[in-house]
Order: sequence, then C-alpha cells, then structure tokens
Amino acid sequence: MSEEIFKLEKDNLEGFLLYLSQKYNLFLPRRVDDQLSFGQMKPGGKPSLDHYFNTDLPPKEVFFPQRETLLSYEGGEVKHSTYKAKPIALFGVRPCDTKGIILLDRVFAEGEYEDPYWKARRTNSLLLTLGCNAPLSTCFCHWFNLGPFNKEGTDIFLTDIGDAYLVEPCSKKGEECLRGTSLLGATGDDRKVAEEIRRKAESSLSERVEISSLKGRLLALWEEDLWEDISQKCLSCAACSYLCPTCHCFDIQEEGSQEKGERIRIWDSCMFKLFTQEAAGTNPRPTPKERLRQRIMHKFSYFLDNLGEFGCVGCGRCIRGCPVNLDIREVIKAVKSFIVESR
Amino acid sequence: MRNPYIPIPVKVSRVRVESDDKTLKTFDVSFDSKEERFEFMPGQFCQLSIMGKGEAPFGIASSPTEREFLRFTVNRIGVVTTALHYLEEGDIIGLRGPLGNSYPIERFRGENVVIIGGGFAFTTLRALTVYLCANRDEFKDITIIYGARRPGLLLYRDELAEWEKRGDLNLYLTIDKPVAGWDKRVGFVPTVTKEIAPNPKGAWAVVCGPPVMIKFTLPVLLELGFPPERIYTSLERRMKCGIGKCGRCNIGSKYVCLDGPVFSYAELQRLPEYEG
Amino acid sequence: MASINEQLREQARKLLADKVVDLIIGYRKGSLPLRSTPYLVKTEEEAGSLIFDLTSSNNLAKYLPRVKTENRGSKIGIVCKGCDGRSVVQLIIEGQVKREDIVIIGVPCEGVVDTRKVRKKTGGEEVLRVSLPVLPGSGGREIMVEGRGFKITLDKEEVLCDVCLGCQHPNPPLYDLFIGRPREGSSARDEFKALEEFERLSSDERWRYFEHEASRCIRCYACRDACPLCYCEQCFVDETHPQWFGKGPDSSDTLIFHIVRALHTAGRCVSCGACVRACPVGINLNPLWVRIEKEVKERFGYTAGLSLEVTPPLATYDENDKQEFIL
Repeated sequence: MSEEIFKLEKDNLEGFLLYLSQKYNLFLPRRVDDQLSFGQMKPGGKPSLDHYFNTDLPPKEVFFPQRETLLSYEGGEVKHSTYKAKPIALFGVRPCDTKGIILLDRVFAEGEYEDPYWKARRTNSLLLTLGCNAPLSTCFCHWFNLGPFNKEGTDIFLTDIGDAYLVEPCSKKGEECLRGTSLLGATGDDRKVAEEIRRKAESSLSERVEISSLKGRLLALWEEDLWEDISQKCLSCAACSYLCPTCHCFDIQEEGSQEKGERIRIWDSCMFKLFTQEAAGTNPRPTPKERLRQRIMHKFSYFLDNLGEFGCVGCGRCIRGCPVNLDIREVIKAVKSFIVESR
Repeated sequence: MRNPYIPIPVKVSRVRVESDDKTLKTFDVSFDSKEERFEFMPGQFCQLSIMGKGEAPFGIASSPTEREFLRFTVNRIGVVTTALHYLEEGDIIGLRGPLGNSYPIERFRGENVVIIGGGFAFTTLRALTVYLCANRDEFKDITIIYGARRPGLLLYRDELAEWEKRGDLNLYLTIDKPVAGWDKRVGFVPTVTKEIAPNPKGAWAVVCGPPVMIKFTLPVLLELGFPPERIYTSLERRMKCGIGKCGRCNIGSKYVCLDGPVFSYAELQRLPEYEG
Repeated sequence: MASINEQLREQARKLLADKVVDLIIGYRKGSLPLRSTPYLVKTEEEAGSLIFDLTSSNNLAKYLPRVKTENRGSKIGIVCKGCDGRSVVQLIIEGQVKREDIVIIGVPCEGVVDTRKVRKKTGGEEVLRVSLPVLPGSGGREIMVEGRGFKITLDKEEVLCDVCLGCQHPNPPLYDLFIGRPREGSSARDEFKALEEFERLSSDERWRYFEHEASRCIRCYACRDACPLCYCEQCFVDETHPQWFGKGPDSSDTLIFHIVRALHTAGRCVSCGACVRACPVGINLNPLWVRIEKEVKERFGYTAGLSLEVTPPLATYDENDKQEFIL
C-alpha cells in the first residue's frame, strides 16, 4: 500500500463528492426529520456532517435493504435480478460500521452459499470511513479491539482535522479512486494534528471491559437464572436488532396472488416470538428470556464459533435505542460477574 | 453460481393420500428439463414452494437410486402445506435443494444399521432404507423399528408390506394402542426398542420422529450400549432460507439447515440449546 | 421532608418486609443520563435503588400481566404515575389482572422528559450529565444538561413529552398508598392543546402527515411492545391466515399497522405516550392518539382508565349511541 496520505480541504468536499458520484452510486449521512441515516446523494445535496457522531440507522440497509425482491412471477413465469446500477460508495461511514459490513460480508458471501443480492451490491463498492474524533459515551468498539480510528476493511480512511480531511488509501480500490483526483499530499504537520486527534479520541473512551473469556462464561451460564434477571424488562421488540449493524436475520414472504406477485425478503429479528414459532405450535424460544439469550449468544459465542470473531462492533446503537434502557454493556458485565451458586 | 433463492420448477407426477385421516399426502415430482441434474443423498431436504403462498422445508423421502422422481410427504398444518394438499398431478411447483447434510452412509458400509422412526417423520428414513436395500450387500444387518399412533398413520404401508416379505430386513412395526386386526407389536417406540434390544456392536442407529419419541429413545440406545457418536438423528426447526443466512433455525452455533439436519447425538450434547 | 426517592424506598422496604407484596415493579437509575430503567424489586436491599423522577418514562403497567404469569400467587406492587395508574385500571377492567393481586404505589408525576426534545436543544450533542429539579412540588423547573463543551439550563416545560403538556391526571386514579402528596392543579393544562395545530390541517394535509411519519417505520414494533394495552396473544400484524397486509417497510403497509393499532386502542388508550418514546426512529403519531381520545370523550363522555365502575364505550352498546357516521 502506498504510504501517501492526501489532504482534502473541506471547501473542496463538494467537488470530491461530485467526483465520487460520477463513478459511484454515492450514499452519505443525511438528516431527515432529526434522524440520521445513509441516504443517496442527490444532485446538489450535501452530507449532514455537523454534529455527526453516527447515523441513527446502521449502513447495512444500503447493502441489505429492509425489503428486497428475491423474485417476481406472473402466469408461471419467474423472473429475478440483482443490483445492476453503478457500484456503491459509502462516504463517512464510521469504523465500527465498516467492520459491521465486513462481518456481514462473511455471513452473506462466505461458506457454501453466496448471497447474490448482498454480493451484487458489495461488488466493487467503496467504503470511505471517517474516524471518530468524538466517540459517544455509548461507544464501546474498543472492547472488541477496534477503535475510533480502526482502518480494517476500509478502502479510504478519512480523518477530520478541522478545515480539511486527511485522506488515506487503504486498499487497491481506494488507491485507484484517489488517483483520479488532484488531491495534494498531507504535510507532516497535518499528520501530527491527526495523530493528536486520534490520541485524544482514544483516551476519551469509556472504561474498557475485558471480554476475551466471555464465550466460555456464556456457555457455562446457559442454564442460570441470570437470564431471567437480564430479560425481565426486555419488551422483545426488534429495536436492537434493526439498529444493529451486524444483525442479519430475515424472513421470506410472499406479496401478491398465486398468479402474480413477488417473493421478498424482509428484516426479521430473533427477539420476535414468531421468529421460531413452528406451524405445529411448538416454539423453542417461547419467552423473552430464551430470545434475549439467543441474541447475546449469537453475538458473543456463536459468531466466534462460526467465524472466529465477535458479532458485535460496539457501535452502541442498541444502547441508545432500547426503549427500556437494556444496556448490552451491562449484560456483558453481569455475565462476567455472575457467581454460580452451587446446587 | 446459481442463485440459491430461486426455485427450480418441477412437475407433480403423482399424488397419493398417505394417512387414513387425510392429513398426510405424498407427492412425487419430476424435473421438467432433462438438464437439471439433481444429486443428493438420503437425509437431505428441499424447500417446496407455491408462488403466492410461500415455501416450507421437507425431507426427501425418495432414494437417489430412484432416478425417475423425488418424493415428499406433506403434513397439512400451515398455509404452505395446505396449499400443497390442493395440488393435482401435472401442477408445477418450485423446488430448492438439495439442502443440508445427509446420513453418514459411508460410515455404515460393512456394518449393522438400526433405523428407528415414529409417525410421519419416516420420510428420510424411507429414503435411507431404499438406498440401503439398493446396495444391500454393502451393509450387514438392517433393523427397522417403526411406530405410529395407529395403523392408518404409518407411512408407505404398501412398501412396508413388501419389506416384511424380504428376508434381509428385520422390520418391526408397532402402534400405540391395540386395534382389532393388528397382529404386530403394540407399544411406544422407545419401549419396543428396549424389547428388541438391537445389538450395538458394529452398529449405527438412526432415529427420526416426534421430539418426545426421540427424547425417550436416545437414552434407551445409550443403555443398550450405543455410543453417542454412533447415534444419528434428524432435527426440525422453523426455516426460511435453507442456506444458513436468515438466522432462525440455529441450535447453539449450528444451523439445522446448513450444518444439519442430521446430527450425531454426540454433537447435539455439545450444543447449549439442545434440549434432548 | 424526605425526598420522594427516600420515601419511595422506605415504603417499598416496608411493603416487602411486611409481606404485603412479594415484588415491586419500579424504576431505577438507567445507564444513560435522562434515562431510568424498569426494575423488578424482590428484596429490601434492591428497594434501595428505586427512584421516581422526570426520567421515569416507561409505562410500567406493561409488565403487570407478564410478571403476574411468571410469579403465580404473588402479590405485586407497582409504582404508578398518573398514566401508568390509568393503564392498570384499564387492565383490570379488561380482565388482564385482578385488583386484589396488585398494590398500587402512587407517585405524583410532574411529566417525563422527551429525550428527542433535549437532543434538539443541544443541537445533537450528547448529554453526559444532568441535574433534575427535585420532586415533588419543589417548584423546580430547571433542568441542567451538560456535555462536551456545553452546559445549558432548560425549562422543563420545553422538554416534557407532548402528552405530559396536556396531562389532566398526574396522579393514578386508584392507589393503595401514595408517595408524597397527590399533585393538584394539573387541570390548568389544556388537555387537547397539542391538537389545535393538527386540527387546523386539511384532511389531505393530515393524511400526508401520517404517511410521512409512517414512512420512517422500521417495523420493530417497539411501540406495540411498550404499550400496556397491546397484550394480544397474537397481534393482527402477525396473522398469517389470513395475512391482512404486507410485512415490508412500505408506508402503505406501515401506516395500516399504526392506524389499526390506534383504532384497536381507541377508548382504551390513556395517552401515556410510551409508544412515541419507545420509537427508535422518532415517529410521532401523538395527534392521532389524542384525537381519538378526544373523539371518545366528546362522543361518549368517557376517559379511559379513570374508574373501575364505568364500562368502556367500545365494550358496550347503547341504542342512543350516535351513529351518524353510518352511511
């Protein structure tokens, strides 16, 4: 990888985004009704980067929309297609969410079956990750050895240094993209400023909890009434799942008649009772206890078993969005500190 | 790579009412196009679908040695299965598969096989039995214990009668309660298994049935001396994608659709969510 | 005088010690500023963590049926502000819980904070520290919020939930004991003031408003799951046989969900606002809820959750009921 780091003056951001939008279907943080989410760049549109900590909704929806047509049919004829427009670029995605996308790459595109819908959107896509100068108090990416300036999985890494961004290519794709621009190199001073910003951001993070032994703990505590205590206030809604950058569960549904219609997939959540409800009436996860335990186990145990990594990136959205303030950090702490009473 | 969500059209070539209460129907389907090569092994399943109604998973009840058709037995219970019951010969439905793993038949070669089934979960066990019979000299003793609530709920009754006539299968049929005209065994599958006491030496056991039957049969097999590594069962869970993406059929870290549906009892004992 | 929290803890300890109740549904301090969190208290020690203040925003009545099912034979204490108390009354009327199984611990409510309003005031900056006016009736109205590089004082009227601004019933209509003194003078608030602006809109504009709100819906059902009166074993939205409408995020479908839910809670909804606060994407269909409440009041003279004696209008039939809407 080139050692070159460029500098993008904020005055020139619009031009840079315009350049990107010529080559890419560009998505960036946009504020609508006080809600921040990744939206498509409109002509003359601007990203909402003021008071931007992170989007309220995760960027997974760009590659894994809440509703997707798997196939359409009419009179016995079945049609299907995947995303075919310009490659997608995400500008201003936070490092935790970039990691989330990388984890979903592994879920959807690794193994025996490749998901063609995810793959079509991800192919040739470009991630422009923006470092977090001011992590929120609910951010806990550092628990997972990530961090506000983690570059893993990104194509281009940006650091906000005030009037400008430091622009660092982190992949071949990123390098190629920047080659088409006339960005100047960053000075040593710029790099120093960026370094100072990074140091400051990292030191502002909340207390780190050691989670390397979490998987073993979780398995050992499977049967304990700890889960009753933790799940007591859980409403079993899907706010956490739908705000999560790595939750990928979905449902497949039919829309239309037997003659004409679509087979679609839509987001679903292990927090819903119906998720595992069988037609015959049995349900292996009948109460919020089993369902919340499933969600926690999936993130902190099963993901490790299947992919060797935690399935949580510490973005903190579920903490900010939970209607009953069920804080996943407190769940982890409770699991860590739970004392098994001998029976 | 083929889009794994898109079903292949297949034609219903034969429909048969399987149980006396008409809740079970057996469908044979065949591929319309000769180019479709469909390689599978007993134990695998397919997603059958009717447009506008949806998809549901079914174990393949035919053996790969039966080249002309794929067989499925459908219990009418929900939206999709009800729609399937309305099918007539000649209708076209969608099929995705084969999905999941299969019984470890390679390991059975040269050894004894004990097949234990209950109710309408005998589908993939039929596939297994037909496969073993087609390659009969590659396996030693084959013992089949199959039970249902009453005679009319036993699947594939014509075939069972043929199997009984064969000299190279030990077939034990049982029903829950005595019924006039029934001259075979009476009793629950676990109890009958205990009575018959198949020899565990050089043997493999395959158990499929309703959860309660499996729950009580596994301890019997352990008691008889079958090690958990030599007991296999096939699990059912609510499924959608069938390819390990949609996240709902897991038991612990294993997806029933992808890592299963066939698991050894030893594997299951290691999974946190398995309640045997 | 002891603070409301001290009195609450004292009373809770006593209830548990005297075996008047086996457990208490209340609030404790949450993990975030401006958030308290529902808390199921089983021991006297745990009672020491109970709080009640402007952040006690969840409607605890939601938990009653579930806690009751999971703790058969237990007597359950529940901390109730006005709207929680009204929900409890509704649940009793609707046969979901029995009066004799619960002990209502009334608390005087000064309203609860709408964290979205606070976020607007701070320009989106994160609130890291808060100091709240002391309850009850201290006359304190100032809320001080602090974050990175800012410290501002807010008048609580600026950041209370919309429903609180029109609240007529800050005290539970039914209680077994009361912490502090019931609040007076809330009727000075104009019950349907929040509707004035909404009612001036044309029906097209109102429809557009609903569509616009519903277009953000991600179908997490936090609203339904936070609502104490949404206790159906199977919600209509989950029905598959027949499936009433699509499951996707299209606003034509999400709007049906919200409107049918509104109709299903008509005459039962106590306008607690729990659904609005629960929404992770900030959908505010408050005008719809309050408008229906107003309709029920004007048409039938009924306000939900105030009395165990009056049968809810939509659960009864009177031949004098207005029926001019029948075409």
